Amino acid sequence: MRTHARRTIAGATIVAFALIAAACGSGDDGGTIEGPTITIGSANFSENALVAEIYAQALESEGYQVERKLNIGSREIYAPALEAGELDLIPEYIGTMLTYLGGTPSPDSAETHAALQAAWESKGIEVLDFAPAQDKNGFVVTRATAEALGLAKVSDLSAHNGTLVLGGPPECPEREFCLQGLESVYGLSFAEFRPLDVGGPITVAALEGNEIQVGLMFTSDGTIVAKDFVLLEDDKGLQPAENLAPAVRSEIIAAYGDKFAETLKKVSSKLTTAELTAMNKLVGIDGQDPEQVATDWLKAIGVTG
Amino acid sequence: MVDKEGGGVIEFLGEVIAWFGDPANWFGPAGILNRLREHVQITVAATAVSTVVAIPPAVWLAHRRIGGSFVVAAVNIGRAIPSFAIVVLFLPISIRLGLGIGFWPTFLALLFLAVPPMFTNSYTGVAGVDPDLVEASLGMGMTDHEVLMKVESPMASPVILAAVRVAAVQVVATATLGALVGWGGLGRFIVDGFAVRNNVVVFAGALLVAALAIVTDVVLSSVERHVVPATLRSRSEGVESVVA
Repeated sequence: MRTHARRTIAGATIVAFALIAAACGSGDDGGTIEGPTITIGSANFSENALVAEIYAQALESEGYQVERKLNIGSREIYAPALEAGELDLIPEYIGTMLTYLGGTPSPDSAETHAALQAAWESKGIEVLDFAPAQDKNGFVVTRATAEALGLAKVSDLSAHNGTLVLGGPPECPEREFCLQGLESVYGLSFAEFRPLDVGGPITVAALEGNEIQVGLMFTSDGTIVAKDFVLLEDDKGLQPAENLAPAVRSEIIAAYGDKFAETLKKVSSKLTTAELTAMNKLVGIDGQDPEQVATDWLKAIGVTG
Repeated sequence: MVDKEGGGVIEFLGEVIAWFGDPANWFGPAGILNRLREHVQITVAATAVSTVVAIPPAVWLAHRRIGGSFVVAAVNIGRAIPSFAIVVLFLPISIRLGLGIGFWPTFLALLFLAVPPMFTNSYTGVAGVDPDLVEASLGMGMTDHEVLMKVESPMASPVILAAVRVAAVQVVATATLGALVGWGGLGRFIVDGFAVRNNVVVFAGALLVAALAIVTDVVLSSVERHVVPATLRSRSEGVESVVA
């Protein structure tokens, strides 16, 4: 009995020392910030979950308490959850979110951001500074086509009116952001329109096989990097702005102050479409772990050590 | 769109008729005539190639009494896979083979669909010829080759031709799925109409496919009547119900 009791005391002492050491250890890292736990949510596709993971790790490195609820579902599910306080922070695309709230986005990012900010404020949501990165419809060509025809911008296509085949989703001819806008805003005409898929494997195969020369894809699609395609610059602003921005509950900002927003601002300022596309490729095509990709990127941009 | 759905059946059919009445929907690369031509083209190609691939080996194997139910079962595995899955599965295969999107994945999927019924029926048709008849033919001095060409094949022809007809109708209906992998054909009206939630175009496309399937059935039925020996026609009627 006696030896047993002694052992217990010895064990308890060790545990106590360990706890003190752990507390000191975290104190050296900048300390845990007192305040409400920040619940971070995301939509149910890998790019959005990746950006949410980046937010989470950036905040954790500053000492904020974070809970992840990633891959929740569509906007119809996570937006009400954010407004109801079940979530505190989500990465959001400013144009689509503004449309969701009943507004009309413009190709101008700052203007769209301001309109979204105004529309969401009354529900207790703040939209912090947006990143340069955009995930929206874009027109891509193969590297070979770009070099042969001298293409860098969408307007460069006008020199080849009537000779190229455009591929896109079947609804493209009926849509302003697609064929209609290319004709009316850019003055383009194509030899033919081929109905394919929404920037998926059929469009990629058609571009590679030169069955189409211009294809509609999403601007941050990792396949663009993987296949060495060239994303043509939307120089006449056909597509509404779709920059990524952190949407946060106002009470979180009130609880933590400006320093909280600064952390996310630093992340957003470094997140360009090219960086995002490269990370999407690592996750979606190379099969890397999104958490690791987020960690590596935050290290590379100098947000974390 | 909600108005259209709420507008009643009569109004909807009126819009479908108006769609058919618009000459703009008939001409050009995306018009009915060109889509019909594409659809007929791939149907004829897939059915013809399937005939060559399926029937001669099946007839020969059955003549030699090789394989039996095992071969038939193996070939029939293909029929258990849904057509949609076949088309989607053949897309990456076609891309890897360098055949691209559109025609080839659709064509390969249609082959996969048409070969099994033709093979099965040809095999069972020939294998089912009365052994006494074969023996009598040999007894009359016919060579092995003559038995195959003059006795077994004509005897099995009603069953084989019925299978070709059934497969061709199935190919017409399934070629619609080619629109999902970047090919043309009448399926374009259904897929493209659905993409813009235009039910009039979807319905018109479905009507066109159904009409083509009926025409295919009628044409091949009359071919059967002309090809099958007169003495076997009553047999044809009986077997047909079993196959179809």
